Amino acid sequence: MIALSIILVLLAILGAPLFAVIATSAMIGFHREETDLMNMALEIQSIADLPFLSAIPLFTFAGYVLSESDAPKRLVRMTGALLGWMPGGLALVALAACAFFTAFTGASGVTIIALGAILYPALQHDGYPDKFNLGLVTSSGSLGLLFAPSLPLILYGVIAEVSIDNLFLAGIIPGLVMLLMLSGWSLWVNRGNRQALSGFKFSKLGAAVRESIWEIPLPFVVLGGIYSGFFAVSEAAAITALYVLLVEVVIMREIPLRELPRIMRASMLLVGGILIILGVSLASTNYMIAAGIPQALLALVAGLVSSQASFLILLLIFLLVLGAILDIFSAIVLVVPLILPIAAEYGVHEVHLGIVFLAAMQLGYLTPPVGLNLFIASYRFEKTIMHVYSATFPFLVILMMSVLLITFWPELSLWLVPEP
Amino acid sequence: MSQRFSAGLARLEHIGRLAEDAALVILLTAMILLAVGQIVLREVFETGIIWADELVKLMVLWLAMVGSIAACRDNRHIRIDVLSHILAPWLVATTRVIVDVFAAMVCGVIAWQSFRYLQLEIEFADTVLVDMPAWLAHVIVPVAFALTSYRFLVLVVKGIREFALGKHRNVAE
Repeated sequence: MIALSIILVLLAILGAPLFAVIATSAMIGFHREETDLMNMALEIQSIADLPFLSAIPLFTFAGYVLSESDAPKRLVRMTGALLGWMPGGLALVALAACAFFTAFTGASGVTIIALGAILYPALQHDGYPDKFNLGLVTSSGSLGLLFAPSLPLILYGVIAEVSIDNLFLAGIIPGLVMLLMLSGWSLWVNRGNRQALSGFKFSKLGAAVRESIWEIPLPFVVLGGIYSGFFAVSEAAAITALYVLLVEVVIMREIPLRELPRIMRASMLLVGGILIILGVSLASTNYMIAAGIPQALLALVAGLVSSQASFLILLLIFLLVLGAILDIFSAIVLVVPLILPIAAEYGVHEVHLGIVFLAAMQLGYLTPPVGLNLFIASYRFEKTIMHVYSATFPFLVILMMSVLLITFWPELSLWLVPEP
Repeated sequence: MSQRFSAGLARLEHIGRLAEDAALVILLTAMILLAVGQIVLREVFETGIIWADELVKLMVLWLAMVGSIAACRDNRHIRIDVLSHILAPWLVATTRVIVDVFAAMVCGVIAWQSFRYLQLEIEFADTVLVDMPAWLAHVIVPVAFALTSYRFLVLVVKGIREFALGKHRNVAE
């Protein structure tokens, strides 16, 4: 048994598709429990039993369409008109625009490609140091993770059976904390170069509003609809997908109709990759619960730590290591079912746990050896990985401090969440 | 003979890609329209289609399965991608072949097991969407895993061929 586990871990590290590794561990488990392997089919089919899951393909598709249109450029101009008058304005513009875009496109790496390509040369042009720009653009690629309607928040809600609406509320303040800390640091670093992007002009704002007139209603409809309880998240996703399609393809005509199959395919590749891991993880989770693994883990943890604070420290260390190895989606479906009961034992609120989980996993995008953003940035901006590492490091430290704050100050997450 | 064979194989690849794209386009478009239509029916006409929500959920399953086949074709399944940045290209190419053989075997087993389950569903005449036979909705699972298994085998063959031709630098991509 132990030998088999070691072989599986080895295969995963060698680069075997994660779903195949997880499926194998589930089937080994079924075999040991003398459960018919046929049950794999039952578990995979139960993807169709999970609520709200249609939000994932729909939001992903909408995000891909947006990133292929000129919406990123308009977003940057809009943010520039709103924030550009502040000293160090462009750095703030970059952070805010990236956070907004990531939230809407679900943290799949498209932010760096869509927005980084605009912001990186613009920052350079305004005389910000190259290393700062690279670090800023790389770390901004996953910044909006805690804001609605990001995919990881939705997935956590589905897996943990926590109200997604509450998660969307809980993410607001911690997300803003991250944004403000990074903004503050950006201003401090560039205190020698305090030039504003440009003065605030109503004419400029007016022009930005006019050109984005079709996209401006989107966040209000989606977020307003979700926060007011008018739409379920899956309905908001369907409306977003249809609306984005109409605006970018029919009204603005920035995406020709013949390009749609390619964009649909590209977005569904990601969705297929995530959902198949979800399907096989349902099987492995069921086996692990039947085999009493959560209780065994709890006993193990109880032997190590006794207070909530020390549990949270242990959790953070675990998540940082996990985030460095696993992508955020696989980590959610695999690990959340196992740590939920343990966290509950230590009195950690499930919504707070979700925010901590995602905030810590966000660092994983920036930590070697597998930080996705590092590789995308290295590839996109043609810098060596080592150079991107060192450019991103100060941002990583700031984000780490914000994660500590979010973890040990649960009220940040829970303040906006209504009492049950 | 071998030339005709590889031409036939290339055509098969082309048809396969078209079929995946068509399935993805139809599923995604239908899902958007059905979900929005359901909201309109509810808010404007205070009615709704009983089976619409269940159908949308089944479409998620189908999108997941077809997306997984497509992800395999483009070699985009999620992997822990540590070693490819560290190891020598030829070593990366070798490990890729090994892990893809493993993946093909696993998908084959799941395809077979879900086929067995499908037979059971036919036998017990399970239904979904009011009175549709359940196996029609679930047939995608064995089909998708069988095709994914095949796709991994294709990746293996490609890997070996490129390795033999000394093109292994491309495999590390």
